[in-house]
Amino acid sequence: MPRIERHADVIWDGTNTRGSGRIDAGTGAFSGLEYSLPVRVGKGAEGKTSPEELLAAAHAGCFAMSLAGELRDDDARIHVTANVVMDEVSGKGHLVVESQLHVRARAQVDQGAFRRAVEAADEGCPFSQLIKAGARVSINAELEA
Amino acid sequence: MTERSAQVTWQGSLMEGSGEIHEVPSGAFGPLQISWPSRAEEPAGKTSPEELIAAAHAACFAMALSNGLAEAGHAPERLETSATITFVPGTGITKAALSAVGTVPGLDEARFKDAAEQAKDGCPVSGALKGNVELTLDARLQS
Repeated sequence: MPRIERHADVIWDGTNTRGSGRIDAGTGAFSGLEYSLPVRVGKGAEGKTSPEELLAAAHAGCFAMSLAGELRDDDARIHVTANVVMDEVSGKGHLVVESQLHVRARAQVDQGAFRRAVEAADEGCPFSQLIKAGARVSINAELEA
Repeated sequence: MTERSAQVTWQGSLMEGSGEIHEVPSGAFGPLQISWPSRAEEPAGKTSPEELIAAAHAACFAMALSNGLAEAGHAPERLETSATITFVPGTGITKAALSAVGTVPGLDEARFKDAAEQAKDGCPVSGALKGNVELTLDARLQS
């Protein structure tokens, strides 16, 4: 089996509370993404990302691919929203506690086959399996007519 | 509690279809194109779930390390971190390798390595991943 490696680099200047960082993707697909503590734990936005937003993008992409692999339909259309929740856990500090997936798909399958495909996609998506070490994965999936 | 979301639309089969990560709610990145060949073979400038995990992990680790150093009275001037995620199709994500190079006035290498070890174990992204993946660290001070 091939081993695939992907990497990213970060430069952080200053302290946790007043400093800020920049994130570069190894492939060049994105670069110079800014992030900081106030944006990470606050309401967000201001054009800055956060580790949790990047995880949400990773999970939505990973799950969409896994479901496409299960549905085996050249005309499938899959829409996934991932919502990553970080919370302060007593005695453990901040933790990623849950990733909530909302899935809407159009494909040539019946409801039963769709449910099985969603379950298999959750088991097959490397990210779902990875974060189950420390967080919950919840899935709400809907087959569109 | 903090929530962050992202959306992806995928069209077609796994091998021949393709997807788009929509512009994220913060506006920081996207839209980004994804596909199976660019995930599992040559990336050709395209991102993948594993690269996004690497970005999240390197970013989370840098922030946790800056916090640990500042709390110990040695606020860093600069930290350069990286994360490399190894993905074996059919098996899963097998490894997350973190590295850190620090510019920290008045701190010796051994204490920097200790702080980096704690950040590796304590950052929220590590907390979500560890147990299911080999987690390694290479930390040193800028010479």
